[in-house]
Amino acid sequence: MKYDNIKEYIYEELLSKVEKPGRYIGTEWNSVHKNPEEVDIRFAFCFPDVYEVGMSHLGMKILYHLLNNQKDIFCERVFAPWPDMEEEMRKSGIKLFGLESRDFIDSFDFVGFTLQYEMSYTNIVNMLDLAGIPLRSGERNEGHPFIVAGGPCAFNPEPLYDIIDFFMLGEGEEQLLEVMEHYRRWKSSRGTRDEFLKTAASVRGVYVPKYYSVEYNKDLTIKEIKAICEDIPAKIRKRVIKNLKGSYFPDKIVVPFIDIVHDRIMLEIFRGCTRGCRFCQAGMIYRPVREREIEELVEIADKLIESSGYEEISLSSLSTGDFSNLNELVKRLVSKYQSSRIGLSFPSLRIDSFSLKLIREVQKVRKSGLTFAPEAGTQRMRNVINKGVDEEDLINSVGAAFDTGYSKVKLYFMIGLPTETMEDIQGIAGLAFKVVDRYYQVPKEKRGKGLNVTVSASSFVPKPFTPFQWEPQDSIDTLMDKQRYLQKAIKKKQITFNWHDPYVSYMEAVFARGDRKLCDVLIKAWELGCKFDGWDQYFNFNAWMQAFKETGVDLDFYAARRRELDEILPWDHIDVGVTKKYLRSEYKKSLKGELTRDCRAACTGCGINLLQEGGVCK
Amino acid sequence: MIGIRLKFTKGSEVKYISHLDLMRVFQRALRRASIPISYSSGFNPHQEISFAAPLSLGVTSNAEYVDLKLTEPMDVREIRRRLNNSLPEGIRILAGIEMGGNHKSAMSVVSHSRYSIEIYIENLSYCELKSKIEAFTAQKDIRIMKKQPKKGFELKETDIKPLIVSMKLAGSKEGKHTIDCLLLSGSRGNLKPELLMEAFKEFTGYDIQKIKINREQVYAEKNGKLVDLLEYEGFQA
Repeated sequence: MKYDNIKEYIYEELLSKVEKPGRYIGTEWNSVHKNPEEVDIRFAFCFPDVYEVGMSHLGMKILYHLLNNQKDIFCERVFAPWPDMEEEMRKSGIKLFGLESRDFIDSFDFVGFTLQYEMSYTNIVNMLDLAGIPLRSGERNEGHPFIVAGGPCAFNPEPLYDIIDFFMLGEGEEQLLEVMEHYRRWKSSRGTRDEFLKTAASVRGVYVPKYYSVEYNKDLTIKEIKAICEDIPAKIRKRVIKNLKGSYFPDKIVVPFIDIVHDRIMLEIFRGCTRGCRFCQAGMIYRPVREREIEELVEIADKLIESSGYEEISLSSLSTGDFSNLNELVKRLVSKYQSSRIGLSFPSLRIDSFSLKLIREVQKVRKSGLTFAPEAGTQRMRNVINKGVDEEDLINSVGAAFDTGYSKVKLYFMIGLPTETMEDIQGIAGLAFKVVDRYYQVPKEKRGKGLNVTVSASSFVPKPFTPFQWEPQDSIDTLMDKQRYLQKAIKKKQITFNWHDPYVSYMEAVFARGDRKLCDVLIKAWELGCKFDGWDQYFNFNAWMQAFKETGVDLDFYAARRRELDEILPWDHIDVGVTKKYLRSEYKKSLKGELTRDCRAACTGCGINLLQEGGVCK
Repeated sequence: MIGIRLKFTKGSEVKYISHLDLMRVFQRALRRASIPISYSSGFNPHQEISFAAPLSLGVTSNAEYVDLKLTEPMDVREIRRRLNNSLPEGIRILAGIEMGGNHKSAMSVVSHSRYSIEIYIENLSYCELKSKIEAFTAQKDIRIMKKQPKKGFELKETDIKPLIVSMKLAGSKEGKHTIDCLLLSGSRGNLKPELLMEAFKEFTGYDIQKIKINREQVYAEKNGKLVDLLEYEGFQA
């Protein structure tokens, strides 16, 4: 070959052969480029999915710029190469590289993965292999990077315990920099890997799996989890930023060349959620609620618009309608940006807090579709999951939207919820029909054209740190029965029905509440060719079955088993602030259909206020 | 409404971004640069910008053109300065003009493109390749199978000979050869240089490696002469 170096070869030869080379360019607007000779720490921030998905993720944007703001750190982005690119790389012996420098990441100081969903785990294994880094922590030596992981799935880190050197639990902004500070000192002292991991473990939020042992009972449940050394904390407490005021938010973000899933400014208006929906892991693990002040938000929005050139801002949070002064914020943003045609969008509005006034404000700029999440079809079911909305709320807000000219709405539901019956499934269809009827109540000349109601029914996956963590998941057959029933019941030309592959949801349920034994299964599944499991065209259920068979692990033990309330769960050594006692009480209430109020009004005693010295709620 | 035509490069850094991506790059750069761009009316207003002739993925260029409509006057040099501060590496505004009210769009006047094609063929002399190119272009017709995007990529036999104005070997050095060609471009006939090279590969049976294509110039026909798209409407600023 006639290329001067490997970087040129990657750019000229490899990229000319793949379907979407734009994924691997690395010189996007606002991407950060540093001279590797002039930095001390090189960090590969890895998102174990394709570029378009990873680049849509807010956490990565924040931490990328946070790290690069440190003069001596060069953080680069790495995404899972799409299989066509992987094939070309393997064929020509090109290892996984950082997008910015095109240097191989096996020579970096850190390789960090963000764990957003369980079905990306095989991609982590594949990326390590592609990087030429030993898959298991114990096989790595002083010449290898440290493999670190964070993100929501890290709250049950056990299925990855032998792959990841250490986890960072909770919000990353502060602990990441603290870990980097320890690393600086360790690196100049030329210590052993163990010496670094020991000091890292002293940072609150850091979990080093190898310093904990797990013992099992005969029935395969856990007997005991304990720290094996004295100076290691028995429980790992998640990190939270106490106050968002003045906390780090980047004033520029990378603007991709190619179209990505969420191609807009994400303005994080608050963290946490007080609603307490019982199926929702995010609602529990991201507590407590902390808002950013309007002045600061407008200032951040200003800087981001100027530096990115984006034409849309999405007000991002777990439940945007709950922001204390949403009307004021929206008004300020709309009046400021209307003339420059910058649109606003709300990714997560609850139907009860969605006011007509707000719709009108936003509509001044542009009309996009609206999404509502009633989650369940009957009031009984919604009470079980503590989704404190009723049918009237939904019809009123959908109606308000139709009255102002909207004609496209999406409705999100779950099937397979605890205690669910076919009556609840029928209720989903009933609710969708009522939405259609409400549209036709708007006079013909006033309503938007072309009604389209999309009903999306995902399969419920019980998650750790939720009141449903003890519950079995519906079997694949039951889920399919429910899907078929709903599909029939909902047939109407104005309604589009979407559902999830129940085989994927089953696997997700296995890993969500998995223990250490799943680590071998994961590596075996990868050996059998599993990767991109979140993508229909690559998900290979048979290969997964084979992996479980060969490792002698039973899937139903994890997905379909009802746990005793006093069972030691694989994540019991992790403290997210919300106590097991509270989750138990919520679980019992759910079975009785009893509601728990929004804790903005008054504390419901979840335990988060005791997580940190001085308290964190308000 | 003020019409502006800009000439810009699409360098190696951005050669892998598609026509649609390039559109987005400009839309955002125009916002970052606070250029008073005009918006179309309608349900979903969009910026009034349009490009002359799309480039294939992987091809670089010294001569791309974009037409903008502005809501208020702005000096072309100021537009150029601001955009060059707001565009990613590889895209540089070279020059621009303000156009009169009745101008034709860049897209509609494009007639020809000149390309420089760099290739590697081992153990082949300048003279050998030169005579092969001459033999290639001297054929009565040059038939190739062309994909038809509008008909589900169905293949259709086409004669590309009328689309080649000239094809010449400009130089050879250590296995690296540079070919210059002038091809029809635009709505009255269009030949992509990659397709030309495919036909040449088939004709010669050569093992051609590392094809690098650069568009050197895009022309419009004015009074029987080929002129730069900027000259077509007036004088360069």
